[in-house]
Amino acid sequence: MKNSDRIFGLVVILLALAYIASALQIESSFLSDPVGPRLFPLAIGGLSILAALSLVLRPDAGPDWPDLRTFARLGVALAVMVAYAYALMPYGFLIPTALAAGLLSYQIAPRPLAAALTGICLSAGLFILFKYALGLGLFALPRAWMG
Amino acid sequence: MDTLSNLAMGFGVALSPFTLMLSVIGCFLGTIIGALPGLGPSNGVAILIPLAFTLGLDATSALVLLTSVYYGAMYGGRISSILLNIPGDEPALMTTLDGYPMAKQGRAADALVLSGVASFIGGLLATLGLIIMAPLLASVAYLFGPAEYFGLYLLAFCTLGGMSSNNQAKAALAALIGLAIATIGLDNTSSMPRFTFGNMHLMDGVDFLVAIVGLFAIAEVFFFIETHGRDSAIGVKLGKITVPWRDIWKSSGTMLRSSVIGFFAGVLPGAGASLGSFLAYMVEKSISKDKASFGKGNPRGVAAPEAGNNAAAGGALVPMLTLGIPGSGTTAVLLALLMTLNIQPGPLLFSEKPQVVWGLIASLLIANVVLLVMNVPMVRIFVKILMVPPRILLPGITMISFLGIYSLSGGYFDLVLLIAFGVLGYVLRKLDVPTVPVIMGILLGGHMEDALRRGMVISDGDWTYLFSSPIAIGFWVAAIGGFIAPMFLRTVLKKPQRNLIDVED
Amino acid sequence: MTSNLLKALAASAALTLCAASGAFATECIAPSGAGGGWDFTCRQIGKILYDIKAVDTPVQVTNMAGAGGGVAYAYVVNERNTDADLIVAASSATTSRLAQNAYGGSTADQVRFVGAIGADPGVIVVPKDSPYKTLKDLVEAIKANPASVTFAGGSAAGGYDHLKVLQVLKAAGYTDIRKVKYIGVTDGAAALTQTIGGHVQAMTGDMSETVGFIKSGDIRVLATLTEDRVPGFEQIPTAREQGYDVVAVNWRGLYVPKGISDEQFQTWATKLKQVAESDEWKAEMASSGLAPFTKVGDDFQGWVENVVAETAALSKEIGVIK
Repeated sequence: MKNSDRIFGLVVILLALAYIASALQIESSFLSDPVGPRLFPLAIGGLSILAALSLVLRPDAGPDWPDLRTFARLGVALAVMVAYAYALMPYGFLIPTALAAGLLSYQIAPRPLAAALTGICLSAGLFILFKYALGLGLFALPRAWMG
Repeated sequence: MDTLSNLAMGFGVALSPFTLMLSVIGCFLGTIIGALPGLGPSNGVAILIPLAFTLGLDATSALVLLTSVYYGAMYGGRISSILLNIPGDEPALMTTLDGYPMAKQGRAADALVLSGVASFIGGLLATLGLIIMAPLLASVAYLFGPAEYFGLYLLAFCTLGGMSSNNQAKAALAALIGLAIATIGLDNTSSMPRFTFGNMHLMDGVDFLVAIVGLFAIAEVFFFIETHGRDSAIGVKLGKITVPWRDIWKSSGTMLRSSVIGFFAGVLPGAGASLGSFLAYMVEKSISKDKASFGKGNPRGVAAPEAGNNAAAGGALVPMLTLGIPGSGTTAVLLALLMTLNIQPGPLLFSEKPQVVWGLIASLLIANVVLLVMNVPMVRIFVKILMVPPRILLPGITMISFLGIYSLSGGYFDLVLLIAFGVLGYVLRKLDVPTVPVIMGILLGGHMEDALRRGMVISDGDWTYLFSSPIAIGFWVAAIGGFIAPMFLRTVLKKPQRNLIDVED
Repeated sequence: MTSNLLKALAASAALTLCAASGAFATECIAPSGAGGGWDFTCRQIGKILYDIKAVDTPVQVTNMAGAGGGVAYAYVVNERNTDADLIVAASSATTSRLAQNAYGGSTADQVRFVGAIGADPGVIVVPKDSPYKTLKDLVEAIKANPASVTFAGGSAAGGYDHLKVLQVLKAAGYTDIRKVKYIGVTDGAAALTQTIGGHVQAMTGDMSETVGFIKSGDIRVLATLTEDRVPGFEQIPTAREQGYDVVAVNWRGLYVPKGISDEQFQTWATKLKQVAESDEWKAEMASSGLAPFTKVGDDFQGWVENVVAETAALSKEIGVIK
């Protein structure tokens, strides 16, 4: 049951090695700078490996990971968020927000009509709040439609 | 006597039915803005500056309105920390540690009232400190060069060891992840890009707000979907709402100590409110007899960071007014406000424009009182947030988080980064790795490295420069004597007990 | 199913909101977060443009922080290249970063610089008890031993404040400029604190940051980097009259997308000139410590190209760029 910490420790060690390798590539400038830009990253990388080793050698009891179905639902939520991040600029605020909020709501409580309503209301409400009360530069609709 | 008559003059300038009304509006708006994840006091004040001008407010009224928003946002940050485990902004970070466990136990209202009172005490004491000592304290900033700052940040990182009670390696690893993230971007001293992989969006580094909102708000959404809300404060049956006099009385010492620590952290330019609340919490934990209860809903763990961060907000006004140094993003916006009012902060402000300074101080006191009076009854409304069905609340939180971050840079890159931090936060929480040190690493790591590098430029690489002043040596002694040495002693002394705990787990 | 319904509903709701939000309002992009210098430029110029009726609807300010303005720059070049209703806040930091190729390969000729309507004069400052009484004292001390003086400034190493010092030393005939010691702190006021506190020997920055300390007598300004002495501070000599021909001012202004017509460019230039001449802007400049510096249209575009070329040459010399 202690494998989670061991795997995490190993992943951190690999990442730290990559980080150190990348740190060695940093160019020094020719300005007056006795410490240089590499020392701090190298120290952080080294210490990370030590901390991760101690985790590999003395792991805690691992958590209960969710079953496959729950993982799938987390995956859907993740995909919705990523799609939303990319859609917000080109497609304006209202449509992506209503879709994303509706889908997330459906992930939490699978009731289609309630989820759709949640999406639409949140989208309109937040648009008014952020655009008019907080003065954020939002575009309501896809830029292509606005001319 | 002089101070009193000055203060009377300040109130004469700042106190009228009209300004009181503005103060109430400002406090209300500030509280809401502070509570929204990703939006903090700087957004609030920046958005309202043009508004103040459109309304044609005179200088004093504008000052009252905006200081109310400033303090309101400082108060508001704690609400989402306590109720949803999502810090509204970075000074409210530490409040999640004990505030959220209290909410899970059905004591959300107690935590809100207690933190409101703590905020009031912190804000009040800091304003008094500002009144009595501002001209004196201005010179403290002169004493802090690179060597002293390096010592201060070193001390802050050494206290991180006490962060996680179970596994020191995990707390250290979390801080190191934060430090590594802090090295991304253009290096300040050599002007060379580091770990940017040619991506322009990474040149400025990773904004700590993206990290906070991701690690807390987005991770919380993932966690909720996984557990169906079993381990959440949402929908928890609330106890009767009363004023928790006992908790307030029992943590009065905590509030006083934390206010002092927070105030001095605020006075130092660059350290600011997050360091103030962090140090206040860690000191309180380290002197407590019952260390294990911290992080599990100890009322003192709620009072300490809130008194600390509000005191720091007051303390940050000292270098801002006397030296023109914005200690934090928020004071930077207040500085911009003063300049639009044709007031140039600096060493002569107190003597040249006393009516402005004392008007500002009076409006801080007014805002503080208005907030206390407003916040205690409003707790009834705030806790209703937990009654909103999760299928509406969680998508709402997600969308607000996205918008808060979108308002920073107006592009998809930070949003994708936000989601990545959400995934990281989910994994770390599953593995029982604390996420607060990650944020501390991001917030303070860059400052610490810069201090070291600057010191070495000045001294031509002579390391003894780091111990060249009594203040710097003091920080080293406190860091090693107070935190590093006890950590090793504890491992030696408590070895048998540790095994016992392992078996229990 | 649900998504179709959603789309239809959202679209109809959006159409009603659309009328209110005004599709063709002028947008001003501030390449910094709320409260930053560029944000301030956008909000002030935007407000005055509307107040003097140079635009019909209030100017919409969008914050687009990232890469010291590089994110906004790339966005304007790639996605809004023909948008005549778009203006972007800019300053000396914009041109010096362009010159140092800090905008990921974007170059200064990918947009059009409309104009500057105010500038913050560069200054070199020492504490009041410093042994250096004139700019010459300071320059000679560095020439004799570059390790004896460290400068503090509000920009990162290689940034705008750092370059000011190097320009002065180059003008003095000093060639070993990589040896000059400089620390970049968060802003000008922090640099001043380090200087007055005695942690460094001199400060390089903008005039507006030093005004309060000049009056209190905590510092001595050795030189302003302007063509003439700054109004209101006539007692301070310029670097030029002390024999170092350097002019470095931090201007505040705008750029617009490259793809707009010459006519549209001239319209913006005229509007900006109107802002510069408004009483509101003059009051604004006085309060924020800016000196008058109005250059608009093709005149400004030429000046910017010159500044970029000079900065690029100097940056190559100190090794910030290749």
